[in-house]
Amino acid sequence: MTGFTHLHVASAFSGHYGVTRPETMAEAVAASGSSDALAITDRDGLYGAVKHIGACLKLGLSPIVGVDLAIFDDAGSTMARCTILAHGNNAGRGWSKLCEIVSVAHAARGRNGSIRKENQVGIKRNELAKLLSEDGGCTVLVGPDSDVGRAILVGPRQLAASLLGSWRELFQTPGTLGIEVVSHITEPGSAYSTHQASSLLQLADKLSIPTVLTNAVRYLEPDDALTADVLDAARHLEPLGLFTPQPNAQAWLKPAMSMQSLAIEICGDASRAMKLLESTERLANRCRLDPAADCAWGKPKTPEKVALGIEGNPFEVLWQKAHSGIDHYYRNANAELLAQVHHRLGQELITINKLGFATYFLTVADVAQMIRDMKIRSQARGSGAGSLTNYLLGISGVDPIEHDLLFERFLSTERSTLPDIDIDVESARRHDIYRAIFKRYGSNRVTLLSMQSTYRGRGAMRDSGMALGLEDEEIDDIAKNMWRFSARSFRGALGTKPELSAFAAAVEEDRRMNLLVDITERLDRLPRHISMHPCGVILGDSTLLQRTSVEPSGLGLPMSQFDKDDMDPMGLLKLDVLGVRMQSAMAYAVREIARVRGQELDLDNIPRDDPETFKTIRTTNTLGIFQIESPGQRELTGKHQPTEFNDLTIQISLFRPGPMKGNMIAPYLDGRHGFAKADFIHKDLVPILKETWGVVIFHEHVLRILNVMTGCGLAKADEMRRSLENPRVAPEVKRFFHEKTEARGYSKAVIDRVWSVLESFGSFGFCKAHGAAFALPTYQSAWLKTHFPTEFLAGLFTHDPGMYPKRLLMAEARRLGVKVLPLDVNKSTDEYLVEPDGIRLALTEVQGVSENEVARIIEEQPFKDIADFYLRVKPSRRTLERLALVGGFDSFGGARDSNRGLTENSSEITRGDILARVRQLNAIKNRPPSEANQPTLDFNILEHLPTGNAEPTNAEKVSLELSLMKMDVSEHVIELYRPMLEEMGVVQASELVGLRNKTEVLIAGVRVATQTPPMRSGKRVVFISLDDGSGCSDSTFFDEAQARCSHILFNNRLLLISGRTRRTGVRGVSIMAENAWDLREMWEQWSKARPQSLERAAG
Amino acid sequence: MRQVDEKVLVSTNRIGEPIAFLWRDSNYRVRTKPVRWFARRDWWIDASRVQRGVGAGVLEVEMWRMVASEAEEPDTAKKAQFDIVHTVGDSPAEKNIWRLVKIYD
Repeated sequence: MTGFTHLHVASAFSGHYGVTRPETMAEAVAASGSSDALAITDRDGLYGAVKHIGACLKLGLSPIVGVDLAIFDDAGSTMARCTILAHGNNAGRGWSKLCEIVSVAHAARGRNGSIRKENQVGIKRNELAKLLSEDGGCTVLVGPDSDVGRAILVGPRQLAASLLGSWRELFQTPGTLGIEVVSHITEPGSAYSTHQASSLLQLADKLSIPTVLTNAVRYLEPDDALTADVLDAARHLEPLGLFTPQPNAQAWLKPAMSMQSLAIEICGDASRAMKLLESTERLANRCRLDPAADCAWGKPKTPEKVALGIEGNPFEVLWQKAHSGIDHYYRNANAELLAQVHHRLGQELITINKLGFATYFLTVADVAQMIRDMKIRSQARGSGAGSLTNYLLGISGVDPIEHDLLFERFLSTERSTLPDIDIDVESARRHDIYRAIFKRYGSNRVTLLSMQSTYRGRGAMRDSGMALGLEDEEIDDIAKNMWRFSARSFRGALGTKPELSAFAAAVEEDRRMNLLVDITERLDRLPRHISMHPCGVILGDSTLLQRTSVEPSGLGLPMSQFDKDDMDPMGLLKLDVLGVRMQSAMAYAVREIARVRGQELDLDNIPRDDPETFKTIRTTNTLGIFQIESPGQRELTGKHQPTEFNDLTIQISLFRPGPMKGNMIAPYLDGRHGFAKADFIHKDLVPILKETWGVVIFHEHVLRILNVMTGCGLAKADEMRRSLENPRVAPEVKRFFHEKTEARGYSKAVIDRVWSVLESFGSFGFCKAHGAAFALPTYQSAWLKTHFPTEFLAGLFTHDPGMYPKRLLMAEARRLGVKVLPLDVNKSTDEYLVEPDGIRLALTEVQGVSENEVARIIEEQPFKDIADFYLRVKPSRRTLERLALVGGFDSFGGARDSNRGLTENSSEITRGDILARVRQLNAIKNRPPSEANQPTLDFNILEHLPTGNAEPTNAEKVSLELSLMKMDVSEHVIELYRPMLEEMGVVQASELVGLRNKTEVLIAGVRVATQTPPMRSGKRVVFISLDDGSGCSDSTFFDEAQARCSHILFNNRLLLISGRTRRTGVRGVSIMAENAWDLREMWEQWSKARPQSLERAAG
Repeated sequence: MRQVDEKVLVSTNRIGEPIAFLWRDSNYRVRTKPVRWFARRDWWIDASRVQRGVGAGVLEVEMWRMVASEAEEPDTAKKAQFDIVHTVGDSPAEKNIWRLVKIYD
């Protein structure tokens, strides 16, 4: 015998346990030729199974799949960890049994919508035996980590024999039980020793139970054992040294020869060893899976007709539904357009029918219709917007004919994988939609999608630091400075990143820091834990739960253990229902417009060429507008000056790493503004590229160029576009392109130039359909901001969709003249309500006020006075005090009108008086039990409102607001530093646009964004945006400036920056930064010299 | 059981198993087939680097457990059990390093 098949292998998808990715394991086995089969047995699930099967198929190995699972006794305590392997070639019986076992093992953890972490994953032995009692399907292996394995180490032989006897009693179906013999050559007499292995073998022989040899593999090579140590620490949540670590480094994927000599060492004689190896191969053979027959590999599974509520041929139903959409969406179309619509729809439907995807489209349309019926805003994104069918079915809101989008980019007969249709919905309603989908199609056809998050930079560093027992603050300090480099190259970054220089010095001296760098590099990219995918729902037929194992999610709904990359191989239909906060914010604004003004608005039917809206955008005051509010997009908006919807599509597509790296922005802007003549290379390309002044931006451009110049057809063109990204097949495309274009009479110069454009295009491009789908909410939000700023801001405050902190939106509201009204327990709710004078602050902003308290306040409103509030809401002492501190009770002060804002002087009763009263109330030991018992309370102390206490100063108010609500409502926090800033001649952000290029300036403010986007040069550039109440300024730090102040850049909130202005366009000004300082530190120094200014000092 | 940590000189047979060793100027002969196993080290206490590819030697050590007695004594004399660590050194002069760590009297 020459080979050996590993039957117990944990991959890196065994979270915090395995070290090696399944593909790497399979490659190693295929390369060594030690077997033509390999198992994956991840801990607690089938997490890596699909990737393993895929890798095996590619490499010509037979995949074997199992699980490493805890087994409980009747009392629920762990009695063993067993390897359970699915039998193959039985039409999926073994595979579905394995899925069921794993799902059962997880089911106990989920209850009432939450995951009970204290409940371990595992299955009761009785239950497992019962699942296998009728027709088997899996083999359970009892090994060293079991009651039998432990008994054999310590007790008399009879005890171990009787324990094993009871396993045999329970698993009587032939082939369902085996003994797993493992030796990690540990200290004689301990677990995983050769001694234990041979005792176990003898015992199995005595009871005539089949034996197999495994190496209980955790990693590919011995060197990986160090990584395993660190993962063990992460799993135990304890530093190394505080728990029992793995005994040695033997759990690696040993070659056949090593396993054979291990067999001889365990058995003591060669013939028994041979038998052990033979029985191992016998079980391996039984467990070889036929992916197509056993797992329905690659076979699309969509809900059955009955589940969709359709009768007859699905394609006919789809044909009818799509055609009936024409009347609705092209009501006013002329004959020419109608002919175009009919022709295109016919083409699309032919393709869909050829691929057999009619049911798929009907499913997505059904979900989209269900979402609309729930009155939830939704919108398709991605290449799906290029399909007229999707538009007519109501899945997408963008007219592909009007926007010149291509179906072939989305779907073609050249490809047979299920297309992706992603639907954006209101984030606040996303879970409602999930539940409705489960209800509509049945929980046997639906599960949520999972996601494997992986170790990246800071996460890897934190867990490494924890493993080494470093102090939290020590770790935090280093982690804070990890920006924009992969943890894999941590050591390399030490020498080049100025903000790491202090740490680099520490590494030179401190051995532990050296280790920290090494193990952080080791952890990088390893799967970390499984969680709910942010938007994926899997829709299948009624066999879904026989195809995938599931576990409870935080939402209470079952979640598949497969991730998005596993969907296509498994033929599973994934629908992305993505929660978009902007959709919630816009839906809220529309609701408030209807409530306050009685005006019904259909946002999807507003004209898309409103000049006022584009005027708003062109000012670059785009805060709160979808997709174009980031500092970089603001700068680009200033240069670009969009005037129509298509401009937004182009701008969104341009502002991406690819086009930026490929230097596509400048030629486009030059052409647009007439600085340079557009270069179309050839007249045939003019109609294709005139919208972008000769610059190739969209996938659709590439498709059309290939089609026009080679005559290959758009479907084939999209295949070629995809091939361009793959260096292996790109040369074929090149040959084809050159042959065809030459034959069609293009000159060599033209061919070469076009080809070089296409070649460099590679991954730069963007799907125009995607850009157009994104541009729609961009336009809609800009329109709302232009015409209904108050309601729109209320939506932004309530749903917080953007990249900036809410306090920056407060500043934007001030700039727009929209008043933010102070907190008032009689008027505030859990949302930002629009009132005649402005927007009322929500109760939810006060930190530490519970959901229940908020609900009670809303239910009990209005209140007569503080005592009334105290009695009916029964707030915690902290809540009562905090509400008073931020002015929530100011309106009980009497003459004061809370609508006039907090800065107004109240006539008699101050907030100080109110606070004094709140403290009296909080001092009452026994809260009155209920309203009925009021008379029993001595209310004397409540009768008189204390008077004569001071009103807090503005500085105190702002400081309280910042600490209790994380925002400055009364006035901008920068106002506190105003005297110093004025003396220093600091410029306001709003004044920058009036300054000449290269003016030296000082600018101050609160940091609202820090970005380190990828740059063409590969050098790192840091962008910092400051808000100073007048607007946002954007500063750019290049290498030299970073070296001067990198310690400040990433750590401080209030900054002072010096630099020179740089004009970037008509309305675009940014600052080339030279240096930066901590504003508070400057303030301290400044005010030391001027004691009288201290009274305004910030908290 | 006694814990010690002393260098010993070991002679091995063809397949690398210890057959005799010199400790504190006495010669010991291994009386039964020695057992090899692998123990671990707490590398986080003493290692200076653990970069990818550093090798399992940072974590793992080869151990030998053997029953031995002084060479001059007859086979029937009182024997003890010895645990000896085997590491491979850097210098060619001293390739194999053996340290006696435990004695079970």
